[in-house]
Amino acid sequence: MGREAAYDAIVIGGGHNGLTTAAYLARAGRNVLVLERRHLVGGSTVTEEIFPGFKFSVLSYVVSLLRPEIIRELELPRHGLEILPLESTFTPLPNGDQLTRWADHDQTRREICRHSPLDADAYDRFGQLMYRMALAVKPILSMVPPDPTSLSRKDLRGLLSLGKHFRDLGEADFFMLYKLMTMSSADFLDEWFETDPLKATMSASGIIGTFLGPRSPGTAYVQLHHYMGEIDGAFRAWGFARGGTGAVADSIASAARELGVTIRTETAVEQVIVRGGRAVGVALEGGEEVRAPTVVSGLDPRRTFLHLVDEGDLPPDFVQSIRRYRSVGSSGKVNLALGELPNFTSLPGDGDHLRGAISISPSQDYLERAYDDAKYGEFSRHPYMDVIIPSLIDPGMAPPGKHVMSCFVQYAPYKLNGGWNDEKREAFGDAVIDTLSEYAPNLKSAIIHRQVLTPQDMEDEFGLTGGNIFHGELSLQQLFFLRPAPRWADYRTPIRGFYLCGSGAHPGGGICGGPGRLAALEILKGGAR
Amino acid sequence: MSLSYDAIVIGAGHNGLVTSAYLARAGLSVLVVEQGDRVGGGATTEELFPGFKFDTGAHRSAQLHPAISRDLGLGAHGLELVRSDPGVFVPFPDGRHLLLGESASASADSIRAFSAADADRWAEFNGFTEMVAGFLSTVFTVEPPEIPDPSRSDMFALGRLGLGLRKLGRREMEEVVRVLPMSCLELLDEWFESEPLRGVLAGVAVQGGAHGPMATGTALNLFRRAAESGSGNPVALIRPRGGVGRLSEALASAARGAGAEIRLESRVKHVLLKAGRAAGVALEDGTEISARTVASGAGPGVTLLGLSDPAALDPEIVRALEAIRYRGATAKVHLALGELPRFEGPQDAGRHLGGAISISPNLQYVERASDAAKFGQVSEKPYLEAVIPSVVEPDLAPAGKHGMSVLVQYAPYHLRDRTWDDAASDALANTVIETLGRYAPNLPGSVEARQVLTPAGMERKWGLQEGSVFQGEMTLDQFFFARPVAGWARYRTPIEGLYLCGTGTHPGGGVTGNSGYLAAHRILLDAKGRR
Repeated sequence: MGREAAYDAIVIGGGHNGLTTAAYLARAGRNVLVLERRHLVGGSTVTEEIFPGFKFSVLSYVVSLLRPEIIRELELPRHGLEILPLESTFTPLPNGDQLTRWADHDQTRREICRHSPLDADAYDRFGQLMYRMALAVKPILSMVPPDPTSLSRKDLRGLLSLGKHFRDLGEADFFMLYKLMTMSSADFLDEWFETDPLKATMSASGIIGTFLGPRSPGTAYVQLHHYMGEIDGAFRAWGFARGGTGAVADSIASAARELGVTIRTETAVEQVIVRGGRAVGVALEGGEEVRAPTVVSGLDPRRTFLHLVDEGDLPPDFVQSIRRYRSVGSSGKVNLALGELPNFTSLPGDGDHLRGAISISPSQDYLERAYDDAKYGEFSRHPYMDVIIPSLIDPGMAPPGKHVMSCFVQYAPYKLNGGWNDEKREAFGDAVIDTLSEYAPNLKSAIIHRQVLTPQDMEDEFGLTGGNIFHGELSLQQLFFLRPAPRWADYRTPIRGFYLCGSGAHPGGGICGGPGRLAALEILKGGAR
Repeated sequence: MSLSYDAIVIGAGHNGLVTSAYLARAGLSVLVVEQGDRVGGGATTEELFPGFKFDTGAHRSAQLHPAISRDLGLGAHGLELVRSDPGVFVPFPDGRHLLLGESASASADSIRAFSAADADRWAEFNGFTEMVAGFLSTVFTVEPPEIPDPSRSDMFALGRLGLGLRKLGRREMEEVVRVLPMSCLELLDEWFESEPLRGVLAGVAVQGGAHGPMATGTALNLFRRAAESGSGNPVALIRPRGGVGRLSEALASAARGAGAEIRLESRVKHVLLKAGRAAGVALEDGTEISARTVASGAGPGVTLLGLSDPAALDPEIVRALEAIRYRGATAKVHLALGELPRFEGPQDAGRHLGGAISISPNLQYVERASDAAKFGQVSEKPYLEAVIPSVVEPDLAPAGKHGMSVLVQYAPYHLRDRTWDDAASDALANTVIETLGRYAPNLPGSVEARQVLTPAGMERKWGLQEGSVFQGEMTLDQFFFARPVAGWARYRTPIEGLYLCGTGTHPGGGVTGNSGYLAAHRILLDAKGRR
């Protein structure tokens, strides 16, 4: 077995961030190996044909946050990335009415006006505000967080530029940003709107991936995080990758391979090899060792530091920080193969409303009650759902005349009373189908197959600790210079030559690629700080 | 007849009294106008039933900032703060109980009945809360800087805060920044496993607010309480001897001693303006009193949208003021008891009744209680904090009898589908008595008289908007430079000469006098600038 380093860098995990890091390193001339435990790349960004002919975006299902500089720099369109717009949001209501925000601005305005003329006016102004706020946050998302407890020149420079950034925002926008960072999405929206289903549907983006209800402070920030995609012009809003989200990972993998990256699937890493406080390679399951002076983990922080390395190689403070890093899942996923389209009572038949997001969020109380179930260890009996029907946008996703439907579901607590098992998983799946059937009664009979994923499944099959889709909650104390731990927000770790590039690093989750790109840039700057 | 003073203070609540005492000490002629028939506002002691005296608003005070006690000589004016030990007694449904107090080791012994691990961590936790509280105490006694564009003197103040943080040490500094925005649940998950301990701390963290302990930002309130205790102990119970009203009386006496006049039963109708600046107040009875400076101890909304003409304000400010969240969800129930409640368990000759009694068997209990408030309902199983001051001071009740003051959550100001009428108040009192009866079965039969103060009642009685005991929620978005509204955190208002000095301003919180203290300093600094 060769002892000399065959690679300049090894990336653990072929998720979209790991692939991004690999591609950027290779682009700078490094010889890179990506090791992926599963049989395909993508991590949580995968398309799988679970049932013959039906392709599911198994976990993550929409794209909006993917950094445009990554698309550009890695030339992803040339590698097959094509984003199809998902422009409308249809919220069916229990009273038979509905509220839809369409692709067309005037049509949306008329629709909101039908519910409240005041809200129709506020909607445009709100959109402008969120656009400005997203612009205000954007530079922060593309910077390596400075450490305010450090007195190093680099950190002080970072802090100064951050201070200048805030000053340049002006008082009004700075205060608004502060409100967004600290308020609940429900309270924030209450200042703008009166239509309950509109507020509920908008605030739902603030609870995604959190273990919080829309009335809990902290959710307004998550809502803003989800607005980030709207500003970059790459795609106007949420999009769907042709071929499913797996196509995003495939395009990055293709770019990486073209740049010379070697990708080994079905290759699980057992441990990072550390010698004298520095990473020198990895040990694979089965005993093989691969050497490289740089090792990068795309796994979540808990898995990375509590499983891949020996605790003794890390300072106790750091281990404590990682132990306390919260990564508790709250969401499930239900993927359906359908013989026919769902027929919604409030807007019957096929139509554009099925070609965007379908949001089961009829009221703020509804979302809060869904949360209340989960707080006490049960899955929501009437959950919040964000549903899309990819086969209507990309017919290749299902056999002719048939469809696939993706349901993102909240809340499904990781720590379910009594724990998750097959029976509970099916009961959860039933609650989802029953809830949807209240709005689209033909759904039950249309189902050919269903795949139900609980947070436990996400942990077991996809390696997401606690089943948290963001590699750790996007709460204030786990953002920016505190993500994943104080002093270690610059992608470096206490082990020299060992880096973190997954969503557990700044700027966090979603198919964003930010952590992967920033990690690569830091690695290329060199190890020492 | 024309009356004229250098400064008028609206409201003789404890903060208004602190402001007036400092202004008078600085040589200003000061008039305090108070709508009620006594001083104190929500910091008051009343004889609700013959011989039974109750702290009808706050039933605890903070350990006042030493500067305030010293400057105003409050000891000489009759103030004596007493720290109860135990601080809190938590009965558990199975008959066990928890007693936490001033001594960390005695508290740990009590915790040990539930969890040895928690008992071992208690002293460390106290050290931790003391460290965070120490930093917060600094924050609570400085004027918020003008963020995001601080002046040179702000930079100095900010630098001082930063230095205060740095002095703690790097790891500690990171910890302070990390824990302040947490939920109480997140914080406690890092420390404790035993239910009654998590429950009682959760209760402390939610008092006065509308959120439950699982909501982001509630850890801050736990640390605030630790800071207000003066010792970093979040479960300390501090009371002025004779009742919370004694503190207000001592402040009033100090203010009068410095030359301030206090006019009771005088309700301000509006603030007088001259050329756009405050020029005095007009009372309900038609009297007009002029003053160059008006400081209002009333809340920001009451003062700027009620007592002044909103039309005189920039619409953006009006919008910001209207957006302040109050959402009172705290009620008080006062019970005259023929005998002391008998809780199962403690064999300590009633010593356990000398502190607070917390009905908070676990964190989920407190959270469930908060769920009701989200939907505009009163908790069926409320979180309660009761005190029976007559245990330590028998003359607060007729011989052999006792007065019990109960803080109740959640009783939201905005009830859905009903109002706070007599039936709603009665139902609330019944719920409280029933809940207490589950732990002390003799209590329901010993109730001789009862009085309920709902959030609506607090609004009527003390002018607390939406019954918010803090004149605005104590949440992160309404904290420090954003209290009462961002851009106006320095006690000034858009109306020149009109200041805010109540708990709706930084730092807010309990009976600390800090808002009144900082407001007085701002007023005096501005006056110096004018001369």
